[in-house]
Amino acid sequence: MSRLSKKSPSLCTDLPLDNADICKKLDLLRQLLRSCFGPTGRLKQVHNNIGGHVVTTSTSSVLLPAISSSQPFINLIKTSILNHVSRFSDCGLFAAILCLSLIEQAKQSGLRGNVAIRVNKHLLGLCTSYLLGEDCGCKVKLDFCSSQSLITLARSVISSKPACVLTEPETLHISRLAVQAFLLTVPCSSPGIVSLGKIVTVSVEGHGVLNSAVFPGVLLDMPDVFTVDKLENLPSDALRMVLFSASLAGDLSELGDGIIEVHPGVDTDSQILDQLLELGKQVVKDEVKLCVCQKVIHPVLQQYLRGHGIIVVERLGITLMEPLTQLTGAQPVATLHTTIPAKAYGRVRDLRIRTFGSKTMLHLHPPGDCAICTMILCHRNETMLNELKGVCQKTEHVLRLTLREPSALLGGGCTETHLAAYIRHKSMNEIQETVSALGCSQTECLLGVEGFCRSLEAVAAALEHDGGSSLMDLTHAHHWSHPADVLTEHMGDSLGSCGCGIVESSPNQKWTYLNSKYPQFSPAPLSEDASVQPHVLDSFTAKLNALQVAVETANLALDVRYLIQDVN
Amino acid sequence: MPPVERLHLDHVVQTVCALESVVLRSFGPEGGQVLFTRDTGQAMLSRSGARILTALRLEHPLARMVVECVLKHSTVTGDGSKTFILLLASLLRMIHKMACKEPNVSHTYTSRQTAEASTARHLADKILAFALEELDDLIGMGVIPYGCCLSWEDFTAKKHLSGPSNNDCVQKLLTSFFHSRLGRSHCDFISKLTYELLTHWKFKRDQPSLSLEFVNDNLDALHTPVSGFPISCSRLIEGQVIHRDFATPCPQTEQKAVKAAVFSGYLQPKLLNAGQVLQLGCGEQWMEENSKNNRSIVQFSAWTERSLKCVFANLQSLGVSVILSAVKQSAAVLSLAAQAEMCVVECVSEDELSLFAQLSGAKPVSDCWMVEPEHVATLTFCRPILLGAHRYVHVAFNDSEERVTVKPCSLVICGLGEGQTEQYTCAFRDAIRMLLSTWEPMGMTATTASKRTLQSTKSTSSHVDQIPNVPPFQQSGLQPGYVIPAGGTFEFLLHHALLQNGTSCSASDDIVTSGLAVSQLLANALLIVPRQIYSHSPRHFLQAQARFQTIIQNHSHPFSLVYKQEHSSIFGESAFPLEEDKLTKHRFTEADVSAKLFMSDSGLESVSCKYQLLLAVLQCLSSILHVDTVLHTHTALHTQSRRLANTSWEGTDDETED
Repeated sequence: MSRLSKKSPSLCTDLPLDNADICKKLDLLRQLLRSCFGPTGRLKQVHNNIGGHVVTTSTSSVLLPAISSSQPFINLIKTSILNHVSRFSDCGLFAAILCLSLIEQAKQSGLRGNVAIRVNKHLLGLCTSYLLGEDCGCKVKLDFCSSQSLITLARSVISSKPACVLTEPETLHISRLAVQAFLLTVPCSSPGIVSLGKIVTVSVEGHGVLNSAVFPGVLLDMPDVFTVDKLENLPSDALRMVLFSASLAGDLSELGDGIIEVHPGVDTDSQILDQLLELGKQVVKDEVKLCVCQKVIHPVLQQYLRGHGIIVVERLGITLMEPLTQLTGAQPVATLHTTIPAKAYGRVRDLRIRTFGSKTMLHLHPPGDCAICTMILCHRNETMLNELKGVCQKTEHVLRLTLREPSALLGGGCTETHLAAYIRHKSMNEIQETVSALGCSQTECLLGVEGFCRSLEAVAAALEHDGGSSLMDLTHAHHWSHPADVLTEHMGDSLGSCGCGIVESSPNQKWTYLNSKYPQFSPAPLSEDASVQPHVLDSFTAKLNALQVAVETANLALDVRYLIQDVN
Repeated sequence: MPPVERLHLDHVVQTVCALESVVLRSFGPEGGQVLFTRDTGQAMLSRSGARILTALRLEHPLARMVVECVLKHSTVTGDGSKTFILLLASLLRMIHKMACKEPNVSHTYTSRQTAEASTARHLADKILAFALEELDDLIGMGVIPYGCCLSWEDFTAKKHLSGPSNNDCVQKLLTSFFHSRLGRSHCDFISKLTYELLTHWKFKRDQPSLSLEFVNDNLDALHTPVSGFPISCSRLIEGQVIHRDFATPCPQTEQKAVKAAVFSGYLQPKLLNAGQVLQLGCGEQWMEENSKNNRSIVQFSAWTERSLKCVFANLQSLGVSVILSAVKQSAAVLSLAAQAEMCVVECVSEDELSLFAQLSGAKPVSDCWMVEPEHVATLTFCRPILLGAHRYVHVAFNDSEERVTVKPCSLVICGLGEGQTEQYTCAFRDAIRMLLSTWEPMGMTATTASKRTLQSTKSTSSHVDQIPNVPPFQQSGLQPGYVIPAGGTFEFLLHHALLQNGTSCSASDDIVTSGLAVSQLLANALLIVPRQIYSHSPRHFLQAQARFQTIIQNHSHPFSLVYKQEHSSIFGESAFPLEEDKLTKHRFTEADVSAKLFMSDSGLESVSCKYQLLLAVLQCLSSILHVDTVLHTHTALHTQSRRLANTSWEGTDDETED
């Protein structure tokens, strides 16, 4: 079946970054992503040409895969960002906007590609060592003694996704639930290697968001609830349960590839069913109260088990198997001909029926301390629910990242402006060393620094969508936004507090517009006042990686000298 | 009669120059990456010449022939594909110029173009013959004294000495390779990583090439690509990573020794193999294979389960707690394993299993009824490891006696996307190949081999033979592993040596003019490489050239000795070979700062790679000049291989397969 077709030669473009068409496309992508950024970002509707369902979103993980371009340049940037998002779940738009701004700035500055790359890499090194250092002015230590900072972190993630369409109390409710669920997955008492548990998410459509809830343990779908009627009679401690991973439908799967000839008169089916019923008898004899099977259970066996007061759950699916074994301590049984060993049975503390909208579920309480919990998410319609589900998973991931590195960065654009001011100051002071280390001239180096800082500030400025202007104060270098329609004599009156909410405006403060020239200064550290907590926090780990990914991607893009497109 | 396309010298020059213009974009210190898409739409970046040339999907048969030669060369040495094209183009231009100037008038030709072609062919053959005979001597006299020999012992000794310049030689060699492959920003980091990997994998008392070959053969199993992280997150980790997840809940044990067994087949016996028939009768039920009386189908499956239990009992008695399997096991196996508190890793690839077997010293079990203690490996730990999106199995091995110096470790290669990790992996692989050919033992059949290749070009040329695997260094009595500072040093020195040789040739009277012409031509063609390296400013090229002239004139031979004494008195024992730069600081103070800068961090390159490259280019050159006509034959597409037959002038046939 070899079908050879003639391969056509590839399409080549020399020096793609000087190509007007490619530049236009990059600019378009930048504007598109920029308009999605932050809590007031504009939503995008994605729908395909054959009338599939419409997705409303502003998150990079949904938006970027939808952007398909024939231009490999766009794809290069896209895959980099998507890979970052799939590892860290946050700061995708930040990375994309920063990367595209860096490319644009480098092009505008007219620097040779290699010089721009070297300067960018050097400045990235400055940024990371500053962020990782002890005296970093835009980093806060997370306090695990109170859930407040965790909730702030969760809220920043959730509120930056406007497509969830949540009101202020709803956002707070979901943030609390996310933190609660996260805390439930951290096991309380296990010295040594800690392995985190799992959050099972169940989504319920057509219910108010405030009905969302988190339960310890696992909730299983029960389509035919009428079969369970004697729940109240069950003793509420340590019910025995069995978990099957093989099919109990009476099929023979592990026999091999040979042929089976059945002589007339031999009823194989009934022989197998007899065997299954033998198994059923043992289960009944061992006083099992709950029987769960990953696959299908033969109806006769189901009937038999129910007849003996056993609750039967079938078609569990592979995803719930692991949480369930952890929850109950059961070992999945797949041998149907040997007696089930006693240690294969698991235990459940309590069984409850819970209903959410149209869904009826069986709630399995863990017998002891267990890191498995279930999150029920409710929302008014499917689109918002999908977005909310994605956001909650991301929040969980971001919260988990804090266990590795218990810090967070100031949100609301303050980290970006602060970093830009720091880099300006630092590289001015060390200009001689830098120039000799990089092997470029001082002018080139300054141009590179300016481009890098402007790109960082451009990300902060991207948070503003309503025509307001972005400002930066000249003491702490935090980010402030000034609404367009407010006209006051003194600027300080209308500003309130900075983007992350830690600095209040005061009369003797000075501001400058972003992307305007200002004298370089060393940003002052924040006052050690524990009473003022930032309102917006960003994940430290995710943002650090996003910064690295953005600069490295921009450097790759700047390094491209030739484009070969395979058109086959 | 198929359509005939006559190939003129102009066409050949044009074609190769077109290739050159593509390759030039990523050549030298100012070169960049080439972004290309695969036919799947995946975007890939590369600076590897071989990769770029294949991505072009060329149509012209001649260009394809050139690309094929490049690929053959670069699969052997892992390096030099961009320089290959550059040199080829430069040589062709020179020959073209010469042929146009003085078409051979001694024969009668139908047209001027055929006369040109004939001269060109003649020249190419002469250069090749000259190179095969004298190049090794020239390099031995003109280049080697300025280089230094990289010994494998340096590689070993460096582990014990601590100091900044200990591992410089190998690392600098790697750095300049990665500089040309991945760009300047990451070359230091990656070369350090490669060097570390190689020192970990160094076998005691063995040839360097053995451990390099080992790493080369097992690189697939030894590296894990992880996308989504910056490259600086790449690292070495102890032991081996098996690229599969646990099929059963993984062990919660702390770090402690575990025993593992490797299975290549199914644990649960298959009742029926293909072709066998199981008859279930009502009267006397019987089974054909074992003629055992059985009541029903249920008993057969009960039997398989019982046998499985026996296997597990045996494993438990041997203390096995980890099962590595090449195939997917049945649910019953997983369930019994969980009950026996063993963990199972399924579908492990063959390469990884064989590496595991080599490192652990345990044999894979083929018959699960016969598990003996020799099949059981002892591991220091076996735990899950999360790399990027995937959870893998991470194992580490006990130190055994024969592996005192080998510390098994695997490489985690991080990149922004799949394209990048793949690029880095390719570069790693080629770097190891490059090192291998640097240390290639100079074979005793070297000259005969090259003679054979010469003959084969004439009679039944297929391009494989044309690339010599073994450079004939043996007359000059040189050891393998010579390196020379990068950045055009080799070309400058050889240029000089060739010119000198040319003048000495002209003194003797046998082949006066052409011998002089040939070595001059080759000498001038070589200069294209440094010229392109300094392409961003021609001034630097002239300065570099002048600098080398001074060096060569001032110390024609004892230079290296003088240098070594001088140098070792300053820096202690380390034979640090970046001599020119340091020396010229005294003599050539007015040299540009940045030119020096480039010299000082440009690292080293291998002389033997360069030599092989030059021979390969010359062979390719003569073979493409032998082609004069392309016949476009029409073959129905369904035949297995389309062939483009190129008939050559003197009745020799060159064939290029797709």
